[in-house]
Amino acid sequence: MKELPDAELVIRARSGDGAAFGELVGRYRRAVYSVALAVTGRHQDAEDATQESFMVALQRLEECRSPARFAGWLLAIARNRSRNLIRRESLRRGDEIPASASSPGPGPERAADISVLRGRLTEALNTLSEVQREITLLHDLEGWKHAEIAEKLGMPAGTVRSHLHFARKALRVRLAEWKDYGKGG
Amino acid sequence: MKTEEQDRAALRGASPDRNRNGEPADGLRRLLAVMDPEHDRPGYWDDLRAGVVERASFELARRRRMARESVAAVLSGWSRSLIPVAAAAAAVAAFLVAGEVRRAANAAPPLLLEDVLAGEVGDGPFQAALSGRAPANPVAFMARVEGNAP
Repeated sequence: MKELPDAELVIRARSGDGAAFGELVGRYRRAVYSVALAVTGRHQDAEDATQESFMVALQRLEECRSPARFAGWLLAIARNRSRNLIRRESLRRGDEIPASASSPGPGPERAADISVLRGRLTEALNTLSEVQREITLLHDLEGWKHAEIAEKLGMPAGTVRSHLHFARKALRVRLAEWKDYGKGG
Repeated sequence: MKTEEQDRAALRGASPDRNRNGEPADGLRRLLAVMDPEHDRPGYWDDLRAGVVERASFELARRRRMARESVAAVLSGWSRSLIPVAAAAAAVAAFLVAGEVRRAANAAPPLLLEDVLAGEVGDGPFQAALSGRAPANPVAFMARVEGNAP
């Protein structure tokens, strides 16, 4: 299964092949999560959106007109499901989507707790635009290269490179406010 | 599982970690790795995959059933439509052939002038021609002799 191209896996999954669908999930779970996290900004929401995206994709597999471009189609679903999810959450909670920035807090020496660290990173990521967050997470979390991101998101490689450059620069500036970060960046 | 000290080391850029492409990860990438749920929950991605596939089991089973049914439906659809059409075509063909045979059997062979001149002709036409019912018109006479008279 691992050697099969996406198109073949999609065709098999359409016929109910669980192994083929499982391979697609394994292949794109991190990318879908990255996109969902870029949109929602919260782990729990990103996880829910990831699961929901794969379920929706399976139900709508016939709508994937180019099985070879399954990844881009799946990521578009993930983006839409994530947006719907935060819209629903906002309506339910009656509050706003998480704010983009906040005042600098304690440095990383005191932010030993992973959740605190994640909170800081989320704050920093939220200073970026959605597309910048998406590209940054796909690049740094999922490990995709520029060309791969460009192909999957359907945008020129130069645009991806540019987004990534400015996003990483903004993140560095933001994170440099933290004590000790500057030694590593 | 990574320790907090490793996290701090990642923040300082002191970790020798490499990214998923095997390239040395820079400080920012190492820092963002903390956003990976598997960072503190080993097996997270495998669990997520298993959970998704399990949730999808009903839909996958439905698809398998549909695929089986569609193959059977195609085959039975063919037989359902082909057999009556073939039977009807055979019946029509049989009816046409039978009619043709019946017509061929009933039809008297036409008597041509050439046959009259070259071959032996029975008494019937001549007797009819010689009888008082014979038409005076030579064309009508020949038509009658040839068997084309109305």
